[in-house]
Amino acid sequence: MVERFKGELPAIVRFLAFPAAFLPLGQALTFAVRRFARRKPAMFDRLGDYGRCSFLIAPTDLDFAFLVVPDGARAEVRTLTRRHGVEADVTVKGPLLVLLGLLDGTFDGDALFFNRTIDVAGRTDALVAFRNAIEDAELKPSDFVGLKGEIAGLLDKWVFRGLDMARRLTGAPMGGEAR
Amino acid sequence: MTTIGLTLGPVLFNWNADRLTDFYARVADEVDVDRVHVGEVVCGKRMPFTDKVWPAVIERLQAAGKEVVLSTLALPYNPRERQSVRDICDMGVLTEINDVTALPALSGRPFLVGPFVNVYNEGAARFLAMRGGVGICAPVELPLASVTTIAGLCPDVAFELFAFGRLPLALSGRCYHARIHGLHKDSCQFICDRDPDGLAVDTLDGQKFLAVNGIQTMSHGVTAFCPTAEEARAAGLARLRLSPHTFDMTAVAATFRRRLAGAIDRAEAHAALKALGLPGELVDGFTRGVAGSALAESA
Amino acid sequence: MELVCPAGTPAALRAAVDAGADSVYCGFRNETNARNFPGLNFSDAEMAEGVAYAHAHGARVLVAINTFAKAGAMKSWADALAVADQAGADAVILADLAVLDHAARHHPRLKLHLSVQAAAATPEAIKFYADTFGVRRVVMPRVLSVEEIAKLNAAIDVETEAFVFGGLCPMTEGRCALSSYATGKSPNLTGVCSPPEHVAYSNDRDSTATRLNGFTIDRFGRDEAAGYPTLCKGRFVAGGKTSYLFEDPVSLNAASLIAALSKAGVTALKIEGRQRGKGYVAEVVKTFRAAVEAVEAGRDEVEVGRLLAGLVEGGRQTSGAYKKTWR
Repeated sequence: MVERFKGELPAIVRFLAFPAAFLPLGQALTFAVRRFARRKPAMFDRLGDYGRCSFLIAPTDLDFAFLVVPDGARAEVRTLTRRHGVEADVTVKGPLLVLLGLLDGTFDGDALFFNRTIDVAGRTDALVAFRNAIEDAELKPSDFVGLKGEIAGLLDKWVFRGLDMARRLTGAPMGGEAR
Repeated sequence: MTTIGLTLGPVLFNWNADRLTDFYARVADEVDVDRVHVGEVVCGKRMPFTDKVWPAVIERLQAAGKEVVLSTLALPYNPRERQSVRDICDMGVLTEINDVTALPALSGRPFLVGPFVNVYNEGAARFLAMRGGVGICAPVELPLASVTTIAGLCPDVAFELFAFGRLPLALSGRCYHARIHGLHKDSCQFICDRDPDGLAVDTLDGQKFLAVNGIQTMSHGVTAFCPTAEEARAAGLARLRLSPHTFDMTAVAATFRRRLAGAIDRAEAHAALKALGLPGELVDGFTRGVAGSALAESA
Repeated sequence: MELVCPAGTPAALRAAVDAGADSVYCGFRNETNARNFPGLNFSDAEMAEGVAYAHAHGARVLVAINTFAKAGAMKSWADALAVADQAGADAVILADLAVLDHAARHHPRLKLHLSVQAAAATPEAIKFYADTFGVRRVVMPRVLSVEEIAKLNAAIDVETEAFVFGGLCPMTEGRCALSSYATGKSPNLTGVCSPPEHVAYSNDRDSTATRLNGFTIDRFGRDEAAGYPTLCKGRFVAGGKTSYLFEDPVSLNAASLIAALSKAGVTALKIEGRQRGKGYVAEVVKTFRAAVEAVEAGRDEVEVGRLLAGLVEGGRQTSGAYKKTWR
């Protein structure tokens, strides 16, 4: 038996996050990803044709999911409600804080899969390409809001510190930590 | 026009001395192949039991007009196994090498290259030809199109294809027969002799998939590449290899001969082979450049 | 001892160098290397940048061009050698007779290492590669015991490199067509084993089935640890028994054998995992750096197994073929 990761958000936070499904979050994320693609095209070169695949990122502790088509400057992000019924090429499910940790490289995706913390389904080749491309990109929060220089460094530091604190509070694994 | 040769490959399974003696007596008398490989290729531990049968077998086969080839071990490790490779190379009989270990011992004499040596391109084929390689049996997974390309670029080498039998897919330092029976490789009790055509390996959903033969993993399916002589020549092939099994190899060779001569079509050849009680379905994916497990196409 | 570390991406290369790798091995983003997975590996420009980064930090780069050139298409492999040479790579890791021959003739500057894919396990084979092509280092097939490696080292005069951590192939590498039998693609043909585009997970019968081109290679329950969807790490039925027939979903960890491998004459210790992320690379390299330094200084052994437990496949570790009981 493997102990499953804890780390799902408390119910109160989920309740507060619920209205996000009705906000133009998708538009904002689409804009952010496209901006990022213009600034750092290497990640999308690495994805190659897999950039046109759809990836459903479904935090198990939120009532909505993200549908991402990471096609460089034509990238799109949509938010979907839980009962969306949308079929994606790849689906990744897991606690939000863990999924965010995969984005910034805090966690090793393979290790999380071995431990069954995240659940994957769909086209495995597209998932592997997506994972490897993200891995190399060394994503930081500032990349998505288009900040540069000292202010970007500050933002990244505070976001990472905030995420660490959240993981500590929810019992999610910490960076570099195994279980 | 040159005829297409039929080769009987080495016995890959753990057959005891009596079974081997009987088998090769039948080969000498009945089986319509022009070249016969003898010797242990898979497991050095089996050699002490079978080494003694080979002199008489070789004599018998040669007396029957067969060309005899000595095949060497695919994975020699210990000093005894390495010595056996050197001894075979020095016997003055045409040798098939199945590992680079044998190359220095041959010192420029003509030799054959077995399917366990990685010849995937014309560069490797030319390199071996320059050192005395006169014939190459392609690695089992190499698509026929690649063999044809290489053969076209290396006209001095006779190319052979593994055309019939369970496919040798992998070798390990570990013995799977011993592992299945809860034994250690060093005290294996030679338990692989219980499965003279290999032990079936199924998936958890009951699909027929692989077979184990000691340290070797084989296909569950039985490969069958049945060309006419004209088709084989067009593909750059000089010979087809038939791998020994316990069922009627006389009938197998006869079927391949009839098909080479164009006396039967491919579907008839497949039907004749299937009637022999094969241990698995007929497959031919490797030759077509797809999954080796793909069922043989009769059309 | 030299610590040779994996890098599937430029970010992983930097992570390995920063964590204390003596050497980093990596490959181009095509079928010339045996980890030809989607999204992985280096473009020509990234290779040059990677070598520059490593050299600036006192580390070496070994470029793996360790697949078998395709018939009639040698150019990709010749180009890879040329680009590696141009980029200033310290060595190339090769397996194919044709590629070795080409490198020996056209790239005398490049140091040649013999890949594990060449499966050279005897003094005769190793001497042949050394005498014919000038090979200077041989990566040990992962089916040899420490005693066998010691005997081998006594009989040859080239360096040896041994795997100490990561994925474990139970088959003799470079001699395995299991993946192509199931899917049409294999390490020797296309640089991939159990290719991801043929892997499918499906939830049925109260468990998750892993299928490789339709063949069920494993099933695991909701709370059961998962392994890589690799054919030889699957569960099968043979002789009336269901088991991990070929190999359990375990990782190699030979940290406790570092001293023994050093005594056996091994020059370099290799960590597997070019397909793993930079987090994994940094953690494993840092831990093994400490382990090697502890052994060399005669200090207490570093508890590598405990430190890296969460990163390994199936959550379990083995010393593999290095101990003869594995067989």
